[in-house]
Amino acid sequence: MRVLVVEDEKKTASFIRKALQSEGFAVDVCHRGDEALVAARAVPFDGIVLDIMLPGRDGLSVLRQLREQQNRTPVLLLSARGAVNERVEGLNAGADDYLPKPFVVAELVARVRALGRRGSDSTATLLRVADLTLDTVSHRAKRGDRIFDLTAREFRLLEFLMRSAGRICGRMSIIEKVWDYDFDPGTNLVDVYVKRLREKIDDGFEPKLLHTVRGAGYILKE
Amino acid sequence: MKIRTRLTLWYAAILSVSLVVMGAGTYREISEQLHHDHSVRIWQRALDESGEMVFGVGLPAVALGLLGGWWITRKALGPVTALTRAVEQKHDRNLRERLPVTGSGDELDRLTDVFNQMTSRLDDSFQRIREFTLHASHELKTPLTVMRGELETALLEEDFPAARKELLLSQVDEIERLTRIVDGLTLLTKADSGQIKLEFEPVRLDELVRESVADAKILAQPSGIQVNLTACEATVISGSRDRLRQLWLNLTDNAVKYNEPGGRVNISLAAGVGFAEVKIENTGAGVPLDLQPRVFERFFRGDASHSKAVEGCGLGLSIAQWIVTAHRGSIQFVSKPGELTTVTVRLPANES
Repeated sequence: MRVLVVEDEKKTASFIRKALQSEGFAVDVCHRGDEALVAARAVPFDGIVLDIMLPGRDGLSVLRQLREQQNRTPVLLLSARGAVNERVEGLNAGADDYLPKPFVVAELVARVRALGRRGSDSTATLLRVADLTLDTVSHRAKRGDRIFDLTAREFRLLEFLMRSAGRICGRMSIIEKVWDYDFDPGTNLVDVYVKRLREKIDDGFEPKLLHTVRGAGYILKE
Repeated sequence: MKIRTRLTLWYAAILSVSLVVMGAGTYREISEQLHHDHSVRIWQRALDESGEMVFGVGLPAVALGLLGGWWITRKALGPVTALTRAVEQKHDRNLRERLPVTGSGDELDRLTDVFNQMTSRLDDSFQRIREFTLHASHELKTPLTVMRGELETALLEEDFPAARKELLLSQVDEIERLTRIVDGLTLLTKADSGQIKLEFEPVRLDELVRESVADAKILAQPSGIQVNLTACEATVISGSRDRLRQLWLNLTDNAVKYNEPGGRVNISLAAGVGFAEVKIENTGAGVPLDLQPRVFERFFRGDASHSKAVEGCGLGLSIAQWIVTAHRGSIQFVSKPGELTTVTVRLPANES
């Protein structure tokens, strides 16, 4: 997979490149918006990691221009925390995913990998990871023959983790997508909820599905 | 004593002395005239007549003079009073606004001018401090992102020695904490310089409070703290949904964090005429009386020797105060150490 990273801060661009390369991606780097547009026209990338604040031309404008030119390359936007409007605008402009800064590198890598196989699974109503299933219509979760009672929040958390199964979910992404908070609450809310969820879906079952990735977040996988 | 009273008293004293001098003069004059008249008791008649002069003419004149003096001092000091009132309205946010001068070029205009110059210099330096903090927090953000990113990238390498992993992970945790502090500082500095415009919409306050109570219950479970919602009237206010959610989460989280095992938190929302009041009470050590006025200060930590190792960035209550102020409300912190700590937030509400 060949990925274009557009980030004006050189060191940030450099560690993103390193991390993606170590996971087997071919990586090109641009530091300016206008350069990115030229590069994206010349090379058929499999994905673009696009910062919003850029010299030359800002990320949103690059994205709009790409989509206008019928370029459907999947785009992952990097946005500043708290800038909800930017994010909504980005998704409207045709971004496939976004990640608030500062992000967890492992999560970025996982999201970029997911860019490649984006599509059908986001509309599925019955989610399945190993023998754990979640019906997003009836809000029922089931593992083996045990059915779980989930609060609204727990349901959203489980849904988010299951839709990102196999990928690391950073605390901030969970806060943003499950709680809709555009701020860092500075509490261990996520950890406490995950612990409760784990007690429900993992206690008494093997293998364990919900894992902690220290310094990064959580991952739901077999 | 007011300048005006003092001046009037001095004036009265001067007039009284003049009155005495006038009486003495009249007495001398009259007694000299009467010297040619050889009827008896010259001094008594002179005294009578000069007394008549003093009380009949002098005293009314003095009274009139005093009244006039009172009026003149009032007229002279009026602009000073007006100036004082204008200066009283000054605070750190309206330093730019200049006090009006009358244009007559008198002493008070000079004073007003000098005052205006001083406040605009003050405003400049406040502005510089704000800009400095804003730039500093902005400049700190990128290196933090880079540090964290590089550490994580290093940790991703498969042959990374496990022995050093723990060390780096703890650094990642610290970087996360620093990032939180820098984020908080950026927010407050932006708010200080008026760069944050909150978008207000009608918000169901009771729903937000219920939501934060649900979160607080989960947060409180590990330490066996009981969270009760004692009252929650349906209330609509005009406000920023996100910032209000942040406020309630912030305050309820504090109430859980600074509690004691097996303690309790009581939360209530009551609607008054034109306002809504949210009260959050918690058991726990509390804050000593002399430190209570300082709880909203940035990085205020209470008595360091008593505070347990509680995680936090030290900006939570400052941020809470900013959110409340931005909603034109008030926040109050009262703590009876060892008993109850109560935070009361009052927000203007829509009449429904």
